[in-house]
Amino acid sequence: MAKPTPSQTVGPFFARELLWGDGDKVLFPGQGDRITLTGRVFDGAGAPIFDALFETWQADAAGKIPSGGDGARPYGYGRVSTDTDGRYAIETVMPGSFRGPGSETYAPQISVTIFARGLLKAVQTRVFLAPLEAIKDDPLARAISDPDRLRTLIAARDPGDPKIYRWDVRLRGAGEAVFIEL
Amino acid sequence: MAETPAADVHPPYLYPDYKSTRLRAPAQPLVRVAPSPLDTAGPTFPKHFVKDSEADLTTWGKSAPLGEKMVLVGRVLDEDGRPVRRSLVEVWQANASGKYPHPVDDHEAPLDPNFLGKGQVLTDDKGRYRIVTVKPGAYPWQNHAFGWRPAHIHFSLFGNAYAQRLITQMFFPGDPLLAIDPIFQSVPEAGRRLLIADLDLEHGVEGVALGYRFDMVLRGPRATPMGV
Repeated sequence: MAKPTPSQTVGPFFARELLWGDGDKVLFPGQGDRITLTGRVFDGAGAPIFDALFETWQADAAGKIPSGGDGARPYGYGRVSTDTDGRYAIETVMPGSFRGPGSETYAPQISVTIFARGLLKAVQTRVFLAPLEAIKDDPLARAISDPDRLRTLIAARDPGDPKIYRWDVRLRGAGEAVFIEL
Repeated sequence: MAETPAADVHPPYLYPDYKSTRLRAPAQPLVRVAPSPLDTAGPTFPKHFVKDSEADLTTWGKSAPLGEKMVLVGRVLDEDGRPVRRSLVEVWQANASGKYPHPVDDHEAPLDPNFLGKGQVLTDDKGRYRIVTVKPGAYPWQNHAFGWRPAHIHFSLFGNAYAQRLITQMFFPGDPLLAIDPIFQSVPEAGRRLLIADLDLEHGVEGVALGYRFDMVLRGPRATPMGV
């Protein structure tokens, strides 16, 4: 087995190089309920992380894993940078639930990878677009025994606008999000 | 500290000599979970997502950029040595003076109007890529007194599966600044050599450009054959 190439930080100078035009609008071949996932990314002192690269990958509205693209961009993938307030926003469709190879059921979720200066390796996780009681059988939810930790991965539906899901990410310290390794 | 069994080549999250890790490194252990069907699939980049011209960083301006012209070739492989085909490779870098065309770069060095320092290419059916550029300059940074980053080219790879996503940096052989660079030194000793390109003169252009080779290996989810 060859050794994998080590990870290094994305550094502070990526935005112009890596961002896509309309990278905040996730494309799919079919229709679905359009939603926005938005929130802020914070460091261990509670300061906003203004230079993170925030990427998302998800199933379509029917729970199908996307393949192909619209000619200009791949389906199912979002890519933005956080702004000076640490804020990101991704406009996408509400993902359906889907099954794994062992017929386990994955709750509606979006896979998230965050790169930033000071992150020598990306952090990866999955954010749930369903309330706690609806995700109990999800493989990741089952792997997290502490409900307070699990709550760090649940996006809250905005009471004033049901199309908006709010999810803040703390990289370190109190309220630190659960990050995963495969 | 969030430390993983895969840390034999990857850096830890917390590496205090690289100051920005102190408030950004997760403190809790990572939760180990089986790859989902999303992890073993990945985004497909349409063929014309990338233009052939984007693999040559020296042809964006009205004339050639300043600096030492170089050709960089390499392969992207998986841990079993299989080519990672038709996968997106993105690069970005400072110009020959060690300056990025980026608003937060306050290094007092000249911009080069003929060099933007960004490019992308899709690997071919053998996992190969080829990029033409100029050697980036070293530049000072505020991490520690008299700190200078060694010359490096940033790489972003998508592989063929979401679980293979990787961002890294490529360095140059024989650079004395590697010894004082906490970002490079954060990599355990067994992995450092893997971030340094080799001279590969025959892939250069005689009398025009120096050749370098940099191969990269992407891992899949541990102990799970990915079949991609």
